[in-house]
Amino acid sequence: MTIESLPIQVQAARVSLRGKRSMGRSVALHATLTVASLIAVFPVFWVLVTSFKPDARAVAPTIRLFDESSLANYRDVLSGQQGDFLAWVLNSVEIALLTTLIAVFLSATTGYAVSRFRFPGSRKLLLSFLIAQMFPFAVLIVPLFNVLLSLGLQGTGIGLVLVYCTTSVPFCTYMLKGYFDTIPTDIDESGRVDGLSPFGVFWRLVLPLARPGLAVTAFYAFLTAWGEVAFASAFLSASDESKTLAVGLQVFVQQNRVEWGHLAAASILVSIPAVAVFYLVQRFLVTGLAAGAVKG
Amino acid sequence: MAEVAYVSASRVFAGNPPVRAVDQLELDVADGEFLVLVGPSGSGKSTALRMLAGLEDVDEGAIKIGGKDVTNVPPKGRDIAMVFQSYALYPHMTVAENMGFALKLRGTSKQEIKDKVAEAAKMLDLTKYLDRKPKALSGGQRQRVAMGRAIVREPSVFLMDEPLSNLDAKLRVETRANIAALQQRLGTTTIYVTHDQVEAMTMGDRVAVLKDGLLQQCASPRELYDRPANAFVAGFIGSPAMNLKTVPLTAEGALLDGLTVPLTRSALDKASTEGLKEVTFGVRPETLRLAGADEEGMELTVELVEELGADAYVYGSVRIGGVPERFIVRVDGRTPPAFGQNVKVAVRDTSEVHLFHPESGARLEV
Amino acid sequence: MRRSIERHWYAYAMVAPVVVVLAVLVLYPLAQGVWFTLTDINESTIANPVLDRPATYSFVGLRNYLNVLSGDPSFGSFWSTLLRTIIWTGSCVVLTYGVGLGLALLLNRPMRARALYRVLLILPWAVPVFISAFAWKFMFNSQFGVINQVLGAFGLGQPVWLGQTDLALVAVVIVNVWVGVPFMMLALLGGLQSIPADLYEAAEVDGATPWQRFRDITLPGLRSVSSTVVLLGIIWTFNMFPVIYLVTGPAANPNTRILVTYAFERFFSGASRDYAVASTYGVLILSVLLVFAAFYRRALRRQEAFA
Repeated sequence: MTIESLPIQVQAARVSLRGKRSMGRSVALHATLTVASLIAVFPVFWVLVTSFKPDARAVAPTIRLFDESSLANYRDVLSGQQGDFLAWVLNSVEIALLTTLIAVFLSATTGYAVSRFRFPGSRKLLLSFLIAQMFPFAVLIVPLFNVLLSLGLQGTGIGLVLVYCTTSVPFCTYMLKGYFDTIPTDIDESGRVDGLSPFGVFWRLVLPLARPGLAVTAFYAFLTAWGEVAFASAFLSASDESKTLAVGLQVFVQQNRVEWGHLAAASILVSIPAVAVFYLVQRFLVTGLAAGAVKG
Repeated sequence: MAEVAYVSASRVFAGNPPVRAVDQLELDVADGEFLVLVGPSGSGKSTALRMLAGLEDVDEGAIKIGGKDVTNVPPKGRDIAMVFQSYALYPHMTVAENMGFALKLRGTSKQEIKDKVAEAAKMLDLTKYLDRKPKALSGGQRQRVAMGRAIVREPSVFLMDEPLSNLDAKLRVETRANIAALQQRLGTTTIYVTHDQVEAMTMGDRVAVLKDGLLQQCASPRELYDRPANAFVAGFIGSPAMNLKTVPLTAEGALLDGLTVPLTRSALDKASTEGLKEVTFGVRPETLRLAGADEEGMELTVELVEELGADAYVYGSVRIGGVPERFIVRVDGRTPPAFGQNVKVAVRDTSEVHLFHPESGARLEV
Repeated sequence: MRRSIERHWYAYAMVAPVVVVLAVLVLYPLAQGVWFTLTDINESTIANPVLDRPATYSFVGLRNYLNVLSGDPSFGSFWSTLLRTIIWTGSCVVLTYGVGLGLALLLNRPMRARALYRVLLILPWAVPVFISAFAWKFMFNSQFGVINQVLGAFGLGQPVWLGQTDLALVAVVIVNVWVGVPFMMLALLGGLQSIPADLYEAAEVDGATPWQRFRDITLPGLRSVSSTVVLLGIIWTFNMFPVIYLVTGPAANPNTRILVTYAFERFFSGASRDYAVASTYGVLILSVLLVFAAFYRRALRRQEAFA
């Protein structure tokens, strides 16, 4: 029995005492969270269930989990019966990844500069980012169209990527600035003394340490690009093979008739990459977002 | 190896009015010397160190390392190593990577880095931990890694910014001795910042005392203690602090309650040429003693007795000009007076009292 | 100034790409958009490089603003639409914040399966908005939607959710709350975790009840996160076009019309494609938000000063 072990025991006893919740409260807690989780998941689950049903059964006025269910819808969608689905996937992947890469890079450099260097104009820059959030971007379509046209980027993926960056970079910069603020400046200075340039500090010390923040930023930028419809339909050429998924899926929504089964199957296919990215970064989300929002 | 010089270097922070964090600092540090910058918080000691590191701009004046003007040289060109208060270890690197990082940036060969890191790790008793991340180390071990990171580079100057303040009291004393020994062994010029005057006195070859960005005095610990240049240094150096009171002057000396401390002729002459009616009188606790009932002495009411074993410090109040003033007296630890008791206090040796100008605080040479 | 550039050149270098991109793709289009509001530009007067037709629109002064601000129904009944936008934004943000805070508080306790709950509860964020919208539109369908089937099974009414009634507004609010809760919840959860535990212990020692601890520690501790996410939430919801458009569209439903969707209506539908009025709406939306944000920040600052 040493003296050091005493306080640990006391603490353990206290934790177990405090950790105890009455049975009733525990049930209520889990019940509430279970109901909330069900509500959160159900729409997606329902789309999944529907995706296996033929179009006609999907709109049957009875609740059934399985109703002539098969993989036929998926086969139809992937085989390109309704449009070049695989080409849309490639376009979407390309545009979303490029957006993610560029947006993360831009917001990281900007966020770092704003977080670390008290340069004249830094506050104004942050304020302008907040204001940029207020633009009803959709209304800027015509001027944006003109700009892209004169830059020769109209109808190209790059043009769309740049537009997506303008919508995601301001928020991402805010978030990353908050995250960078949580990394002690001593680390930067230590790096400077050890022989790094300001850019070296950013690249070799701060970026590796900001991985949670970067993950959240990447997630946000990816989603922005992956699920966007309005710009994509306005700025990409109308030819089938240059569409993104979000635009392409409209083929299942006919004039008066929606092919619900096929649309559901296609939606699930579209969601898979987004959910996969989400799953990869979800453990960083709380820390990453917290730093950004708390400091923002 | 190099000498360091601050040539009336200033750091001015913008504001209204601008803050002169370091004001016209003039300081020469010899090659191989261990110089401690000490002062209360906000005295500019850390800023002065960071100016030397190149982490803070020099707004006026210049800084030289090894005779070379480095005022506008970025940190990496100054051949310095720095130990931070927070240690600033890179969390994503192992101990070995942390220690070898600067060498790696310099393009040193892998084998050489490995050898040098191993050597430093041995010196600091870190060999077992080389593959660990900083998170998995205790406070003391982290501190040693921070030291190791500096040593491995074999810089011409070590800069240390309160490197011990995150350690517990026992470890701090131990590490204090280790750093001093290490510095002597390596013989590298070292500038060490601390707010702890005990650290300053025990470690430094010389100690520079700063206050409000101004250098108060730079001297050996002995000199600082025996001949403080002004009332601030007198009060700052030494623990418990020197008793500093403004008292009236008479023809014979300084007049305390019921006690006239005789002053030398020259001191009195100096005071009278400056037209001083009173003077700031300083006397260290150990220069005071308890007096017998029939001796001349100040009447002191005991308010607190701090027993330290061999010695005891008596805190009490003396009425000077009707106002109660706190005095600290060192007495024998075996026979301290009791709380509430009235005792008489006299000066042990009148040559050990200090006199300062009541307004400027400057030392009046006795 | 020269000194400033010398000293901060690397900061400027790091910021420059963003500034250039934003200037080219936001500021310039915005300026052009503002100019459009002073003209009668539409599909037939805009320059068309494909047809090699030059621009023929002309300056009309403040006519667009006068038309819109008169509240004329043929220009979108601006004032009643603004009111609906405010109701929409207010109810969405209040509900999203309330639900998000509640869930964050529950998730912030140690318990079994916490990580699982968290993943499930954030899932709606991961799903692209157009798919969420489609899923809800499917579920809200009055004949075969699962919601009405469940209501029917319990013998309750089977309302037409997405028809031309105010029920449609309720429906889109539900969808938007579902979409928005995960972000709110995560941000608040992060905020909760940044409140030092010893504050709660100190309050407990002082004898504070759970409610007092919530009111005097949790809420003040969440202040800065809350003020940020609420402002962002308001701005985002005010301009939330996809949810409304995709759930109640593509034909415009006047009962769920907010400022942004009307701008879009003007923009995309109708033979004339009235860019001028659409831009006018855009500028008005921006002005409303700017004024609001200014007041919001001032109110926050005042509150801070008195706190």
